[in-house]
Amino acid sequence: MAQIALQNVSKLYGDATALQNVDLTFTNLVTTAVVGPSGSGKSTMLQLINGLVRPDQGQVFAFGKPIDYQHLPELRLQIGYAVQGIGLFPHLTVEANITLLARLARWDAERIKARTEELMTLVNLPLSYALRYPHELSGGEQQRVGLCRAMTLNPEIFLLDEPFGALDPITRNEIQREFLHLQGSEARTIILVTHDLREALKLAQRLVVLDRGCVVQHGTGAEILENPANGFIRSFFQSQLDP
Amino acid sequence: MRALIILLMTALLLGGGANGGSRTVVVGSKHFNEGYILAEIIAQLLEDRGVRVARKFGLGGTLICFEALKNGEIDVYPEYSGTLAEAILKLPRRVSYAELQHALKRRFGMDLLESFGFNNTYAIALRRKLAEQRGLKTISDLAKFPDLRIGLSYEFLNRNDGWPGLARTYGLAVRPVGIEHGLAYQAIRENTLDVTDVYTTDGDIRKFDLFLLEDDKDYFSQYLAAPLVRGGVDERITAIVGELAGTITDDQVRRLNAMVILEGKSFAEVANHFLGEAGLLTAERPRVEESKWVSLLYRTVRHLELTFIALLAGIIVAIPAGILVYRVRAISRPVMYMAGLLQTIPSIALLAFMIPIFGIGVKPAIVALFLYSLLPILRNTAASLVSIDPVLKKVSVGMGLTPGQSLRYIELPLAAPTILAGIRTAAVINIGTATLAAFIGAGGLGEPIVTGLALNNTSLILEGAIPAAILAILTEWAFEGLEKVLIPRHLLQRVAE
Repeated sequence: MAQIALQNVSKLYGDATALQNVDLTFTNLVTTAVVGPSGSGKSTMLQLINGLVRPDQGQVFAFGKPIDYQHLPELRLQIGYAVQGIGLFPHLTVEANITLLARLARWDAERIKARTEELMTLVNLPLSYALRYPHELSGGEQQRVGLCRAMTLNPEIFLLDEPFGALDPITRNEIQREFLHLQGSEARTIILVTHDLREALKLAQRLVVLDRGCVVQHGTGAEILENPANGFIRSFFQSQLDP
Repeated sequence: MRALIILLMTALLLGGGANGGSRTVVVGSKHFNEGYILAEIIAQLLEDRGVRVARKFGLGGTLICFEALKNGEIDVYPEYSGTLAEAILKLPRRVSYAELQHALKRRFGMDLLESFGFNNTYAIALRRKLAEQRGLKTISDLAKFPDLRIGLSYEFLNRNDGWPGLARTYGLAVRPVGIEHGLAYQAIRENTLDVTDVYTTDGDIRKFDLFLLEDDKDYFSQYLAAPLVRGGVDERITAIVGELAGTITDDQVRRLNAMVILEGKSFAEVANHFLGEAGLLTAERPRVEESKWVSLLYRTVRHLELTFIALLAGIIVAIPAGILVYRVRAISRPVMYMAGLLQTIPSIALLAFMIPIFGIGVKPAIVALFLYSLLPILRNTAASLVSIDPVLKKVSVGMGLTPGQSLRYIELPLAAPTILAGIRTAAVINIGTATLAAFIGAGGLGEPIVTGLALNNTSLILEGAIPAAILAILTEWAFEGLEKVLIPRHLLQRVAE
């Protein structure tokens, strides 16, 4: 059964339509990239899945069930979430940022320590960083901490909203490599919002192309590249991929 | 909530405790020289006859004293017949002393005892030299010199039998300024003021060599000083205080006043001297006066008690209120406006408002200071929560924190530097404002300030003002230390930016 699906979902902000009659089923255990020009509804789609945004119409499914809006925190604990700007808590150390959810879930100290070291090693962060504050880290290091934090409780679903957007090209390349490595080590259902088509093609098996709140096409990268559904997609791909 | 109730109960107990046992007689006084002396005479006479006495001297004004008497916060204080007729009973015409006694008994159940024997009426005074230069002899003459700078005590300025009637009777067109009575003499000496209102028995008249203008149109009414006793006070007490009837002449009281103002004697010494001379003392009891340092210690402790109980209550109420304002936007404006409004009420007025509800003493002072501490804490709490980076809020919700967890682990810690700054502001404001609490009998470091103002005694004012200033500085330091302990350094820097 599909873990994540949108059924005839519409969302308005005032008069502006963010999403219109979207029917979409995400494939389990692969990375799906949501691409499209800015304002096409990418972030809205992502935030529908963890309940940060509620649909005006239609239904959102997570873990195969319609979202229960009375119990959002429980749902969100099973979904890793990372955003552009990272959003590390400045008053907490690296370790405290990573282990916040584990501490709230009352894990014992040993388990928390083991998990922290495991995650930091996984993303190539020196363990000596554990007691530093976020502002003492570079942008790339902060982004790694952000990924660790999203992975702490080992969620089955990941929502990533432009997570590599603010990084310089070299650091971005490095982290993208680590991302692929992570995904290779254990397959998860990942939804990645990005405005960068190259990044989407590099990191994701499947693509969803949005334009003005509608799904224009979805499928594997190769499918869409070979058979663009319409002129919009053709020109969108051209403008992004031609140097 | 329970903590708040416990706190308020504690405050009530502290306030109530000041009155002590039931047979203690509480003697009050207004905050001017003669008021202190007469009250001290009453107190010492009672003590001589074996009555336990508590002194609540230096209360802020006629209304505060009268309300305190009405509410049973004090049992007796010296008052003046003219003041009672005009300011309290608001009688349209002049009445005899007997009529006044009758009216007070009927309306308030109070006993206005027979007068001490002297009449302390208002007079208009100016430097003797200036009077001679301009040839001023009567108040009528004053109308010819509209250039003279007139500064009047606030009470005189606003009483029916004060300036408004005087200006009408004599056709005075000058616009006077209001000035604290104790400061008016200073201002006259420094030549920043020419004319002020005085009491005819003021010792200051001699000290500053002032000339009293003749009341040639017989405007001022009689102000016979007398003990005003609350209804229901033990008859024995009334009888003892009644012994003072007719014992003090105009000349004597001027001399007593001058002993304090000119010779620097304490009220206790002067009262003791008078009672001895008048042969009213039955037993020779040497008076023991507290040393300056001991009373400084007591005052400081009381001051801290006032300040920090109020601050604690302020924190307990204002931080949750700030959170509520942040979470429920609909109530944000009304709550902030209310708190802002409270702040605009002048402190002395706020203290006066408290008296009908809480009486005089520590209780109303704490409530007033509590109200003052609300706005800085409330505003800083709400503002700092609102201004948290929206990305952080989104992440904390998006990663699965409940609203309560987000508040406790993310939002409040991030807001902490600003909230702490608000508490710090409130604490320093409280230390300053608490000096005014002495006007309603709450004690503290304001006590010497209030007395010093009444006596125009700068060193006495400094006795309260300097410790209060030191306390404020120490509080600033304490909060700086607290910040360093509680808040990571880089977050403090962000606040500074």
